[in-house]
Amino acid sequence: MAHSRPSSDRDFPYWLVAAAAIAIIVAVLIATNDLYLQVLSIVSKGVWITVFVTLVGFAFATLIGLVLALMGLSRSLVLRQVSRFYVEIIRGVPILVLLFYIAFVGAPGFVLAWNWLTLPLQEAGLVDALKVRDISLMWRAIISLTIGYSAFIAEVFRAGILSVDDGQIEAAEALGLSRFQRFRFIVMPQALRTILPPLGNDFVAMVKDSSLVSVLGVADLTQMGKVYASGSFRFFETYSIVAYIYLLLTVGLSLALRAFERRLRKAGNNGAHG
Amino acid sequence: MSLLKSVIAAALAAAFTPIVAFAADLPDLGGKNVVIVTENAYPPLQFMDPKTGEQIGWEYDAMDEIAKRLNMQVEFRNSSWDVMIQAVSDGQYDLGMTGITIKEDRKEKVDFSDPYMRSEMFMLVRGDEERFNDAAGFAALEDGLVGAQAGTTPFFVAVYDVLDGDEQNARIKLFETFGAQVQALYTGDVDLVLTDGTAGQGYVKSSDGALKLVGEPMGTEDFGFIFPKGSDLIVPINAAIAEMKADGTIDALNTKWFLDYELGQ
Repeated sequence: MAHSRPSSDRDFPYWLVAAAAIAIIVAVLIATNDLYLQVLSIVSKGVWITVFVTLVGFAFATLIGLVLALMGLSRSLVLRQVSRFYVEIIRGVPILVLLFYIAFVGAPGFVLAWNWLTLPLQEAGLVDALKVRDISLMWRAIISLTIGYSAFIAEVFRAGILSVDDGQIEAAEALGLSRFQRFRFIVMPQALRTILPPLGNDFVAMVKDSSLVSVLGVADLTQMGKVYASGSFRFFETYSIVAYIYLLLTVGLSLALRAFERRLRKAGNNGAHG
Repeated sequence: MSLLKSVIAAALAAAFTPIVAFAADLPDLGGKNVVIVTENAYPPLQFMDPKTGEQIGWEYDAMDEIAKRLNMQVEFRNSSWDVMIQAVSDGQYDLGMTGITIKEDRKEKVDFSDPYMRSEMFMLVRGDEERFNDAAGFAALEDGLVGAQAGTTPFFVAVYDVLDGDEQNARIKLFETFGAQVQALYTGDVDLVLTDGTAGQGYVKSSDGALKLVGEPMGTEDFGFIFPKGSDLIVPINAAIAEMKADGTIDALNTKWFLDYELGQ
């Protein structure tokens, strides 16, 4: 570690001090200006949708990403190829296109297929026919973000798992650990340290990409800003506030993730030495 | 009851009978739940009140009135304009209202109500615009840019009536909402926005001289509500619209939103 490259990681975080100072000044400006307060009180209604869409989408995407990564590394050729196919195809479609596609081709198609499959149950009166409107635009947006991000997250997991040295796995095998135990106690704890930073990046990116749901009219932060600006003609004020709220979310999240990574690294080092 | 009173009562009864009878002709939908979608980005038809954040406008008032007369429960949802016709066509919503011009090619996807509003399109320009004052003048101005929202009537008028019929014409700048076009006009990103006259007057009035309307009206367009194909709501809603035209409700709404309401205040 003696000859390590200069890294902003070990600097005193002057940038954070500057950003926090600006954030506080802006907060005071907003609090003392009736117009900004009015804009804030209305567009901030969209924050919960933004947070909800991001959290749910990211949770699902992580889950599916992990499954895809494991499929990609499994012994079965079929599973490996299915995983590869999914990742390559989905990764090649812009999220915005995916969003329109899921909303207006995927969802109606799904409803059609579902109703066809459950036709006997419907005739028996057990289930009602599904209507297209039963799947709200918000859920279509969440599904689109989930599908889009799961492909990237699968790659993150794959890289993390592959980063664990083969010798470790062989040693674990020699010790008689089962396949699941090897994964749970040997591979995953080490892989996590490689996985977390890029996974955190995807999380922050998803907060921002969740704004794409506004094209469907889902009332997230961006949509509230769009609608507010078109009714009040106050573009500058509205988008200043919208950007401010997004920054609070994304920078706050980055800091939390950084702190979490540091704790994990410390725990890992203690484990290694202790 | 005195004779005079009964005469007056009889006269009043006679005077109101036609309206009462007319009202009785409207079907009773028995509290039917109707899901309505709108964009909330087209003042004064529907928009968000800058002060309270409530959704207000001409179309909300009209739809509440229709709901009252037909005894239906309305529920308002939002979507963007880009996806609205498709969403209504898919049956995602029962009805769409966003000042939608009744057009033949749209009828392939959705059914329209009878028109509830007629609008004439005008050219909205900056107050200090002197390079052109009609469509031909703008067309001749080679570096003149027009703002439009993709797939809207003003967009098609800009393409086919003002410019050369090429939908890819680089002189058309696309925006996602009507308000964004007006903002682009203010900032000089575009030189012209096409708008219906009544809404345009509202912008001009609230702009303090920064905007003006020029030229002759460029043809008329009729607005209708849209429904999924074959909807059973069309007949009752048409009846309600007819009644509201006949009894002056529509005129009162026009006065309220186009003349009395101050946009952007």
